[in-house]
Amino acid sequence: MWNSLAYRLWRAAYLRAVSSAFATVPLYRETWALHGRTDPVLVPGKTGSNGGALPADEVRRRLVDTAPLAGGSTEPDPARGLAFLLTRATQRPSHRLVVVVDAEVTRPPTGLPRGSRGCVLHPDAAASAGDEPVLREIVDTLRRGERVLAVGEDKNLDALSSALPAELPPPDRVPHHRIDRLTGGPFGLLHDPLLGYLGVLRDCGRWHVDRRRVHVRETTGGLAFTVLERTSPRLVDVLVGGGVPGEVHACPQHASPVIQT
Amino acid sequence: MNVEIIDPRVDPEPTGWADFVNDRRLHPVWRHPLIRLEAWTARNPPLLAVVREHGRVVGGLQAMVCRSWSTGRFGPAATRRPARLRPRWAEVYLPLHSGYPAAAFHSGVDVRGAIREFERSLVHRVGPGLLGVLYRAMTDDLADAMSGPQRPHRVIDPAAVLHPPATVDEWRAGLGTDVRATVDAIDADPEVRTDVGAGRDDLDASELAALLNAHRARQDARAWAGGQRSRFAGLHLDTRSPVSPAYLDALLRRPNVLTRTYRTPTGRLLGFSTMITDRGTAAFHHWAAVSRVDGGRPGLHRHAYAQAVAQAIDLGSTELTAGRAMLDEKAALGFRDTRQLHTVAAPRPLLGDRRGPQAVHRETPRDTTGHIHRNRAGSVT
Repeated sequence: MWNSLAYRLWRAAYLRAVSSAFATVPLYRETWALHGRTDPVLVPGKTGSNGGALPADEVRRRLVDTAPLAGGSTEPDPARGLAFLLTRATQRPSHRLVVVVDAEVTRPPTGLPRGSRGCVLHPDAAASAGDEPVLREIVDTLRRGERVLAVGEDKNLDALSSALPAELPPPDRVPHHRIDRLTGGPFGLLHDPLLGYLGVLRDCGRWHVDRRRVHVRETTGGLAFTVLERTSPRLVDVLVGGGVPGEVHACPQHASPVIQT
Repeated sequence: MNVEIIDPRVDPEPTGWADFVNDRRLHPVWRHPLIRLEAWTARNPPLLAVVREHGRVVGGLQAMVCRSWSTGRFGPAATRRPARLRPRWAEVYLPLHSGYPAAAFHSGVDVRGAIREFERSLVHRVGPGLLGVLYRAMTDDLADAMSGPQRPHRVIDPAAVLHPPATVDEWRAGLGTDVRATVDAIDADPEVRTDVGAGRDDLDASELAALLNAHRARQDARAWAGGQRSRFAGLHLDTRSPVSPAYLDALLRRPNVLTRTYRTPTGRLLGFSTMITDRGTAAFHHWAAVSRVDGGRPGLHRHAYAQAVAQAIDLGSTELTAGRAMLDEKAALGFRDTRQLHTVAAPRPLLGDRRGPQAVHRETPRDTTGHIHRNRAGSVT
């Protein structure tokens, strides 16, 4: 791994998240105290399994234990992190309307740039082409000549495009992919329904992790992701996609962490 | 007599401890593996004090070392050098079995001497920051041994006790019509499925722990709104921690713990109870249910208590206890006896002081009962 200041800060943020989770969050306290973990080791003599990382299914089953003792939300936000990755994903500063077409995403993305609005559209509603308010809003926005960005799985984006009137310009689209179904682009976002948006495919052709908000490390169980920015639900060392083997490198072009599965 | 204080998180089980627990027929909360699980997942983790006489274990105490009432952090890692100057206090208390004292001794032991030796050892272990020791939920004899001059003492909510009659019919005959009707209605309700067993390993402890913690939070809020007795100077003082799934899982697997679950035909958990099925003193241990506003079935607790009583009668238990809350409701279920419980506070300067309560009258003419809660009466010193 590279040895830059950025990497050391990234690593320090991860260590703080681990320390905080061990001290305040029941799920990690129980798991790491009783079974152990590595990198960092918190209880000497115990290494646990998969370096202390937990499968996403297990974390989802025990979401109630991911809130800190002091209290907090236990509801995951599948749209978390989207706003910060859009610029790099689309190479445009903003869009008037950002539509997430995904059954798992029920709340619009937050933190979009000024002038942008976010909304969600269930794939069934996109396919039915009925009198759906979100569809009407998309059509109106496109008719005004403003840009619309659709985010979702390829098949859902196709359904949305076919539901729109043919005379309108198509919306911009960025497909998002699960970690076990990464493609070669040219655009794409790395998404997990529990952790939210984790990374982006950049112009170098590599999958970049959102290093300000997400940490990733290699474990024997696969790549383990940590959401650094959100403290409740606290998601630390989660094996997304059932645990996908991979490696973490530094991008030679951008000097930021990239994953290779 | 000497006292060895261990941290159950990192120290191995003391020699002879399991034999002591067996001999005294102590409940599972005294088992070292369970104390260890509880300690790792507690905000204020307990220490285990083992009292030995000529090398033989003759007593034990569990003392939570508390840093704050409102901390949102688990106990500091056991491997760190403890902050010996930081103000802390100890509570000799079983937070998950609050109707029983966190001190147990063989008969014939000089309990007063053991307690004072424990206090000296605790001061040595915790350091200058120890402010004092609070002995909570102590029985009459233990409270007497812990009392002394300048040690505030008060009576707290008693534990509900039932001395099981010879037959279930005899017990049912003493119940009100509405209680019997509720129990019978749940027995006949096809929307409520119940299963029961001891030493269960087929349950999802996470699901049960989530329900139990939600139930406790609801009860605490209700007790707080009703002016609970643990209120002090208008503050909400609670040193307990949520029950962890790991602890509950280990508890349910014990062969003398009977677990009963209530579910809908679709499998949704409505409630569950645990019962410690000792022939001597059986205990209705945990109870949790989905609230009515969330779709819970009213009256399940009555059914669970009824089943516990029937089980105690089958076992031939001499008594069945049922905790310290909702005494009126428990009285309607036949728990008409109570066991008096006391809290004694030992401030730091008096720790290790061997003088007994009789010294109060000799040395201080004023009332030294010094109620811990000023708005409560009932001191017995």
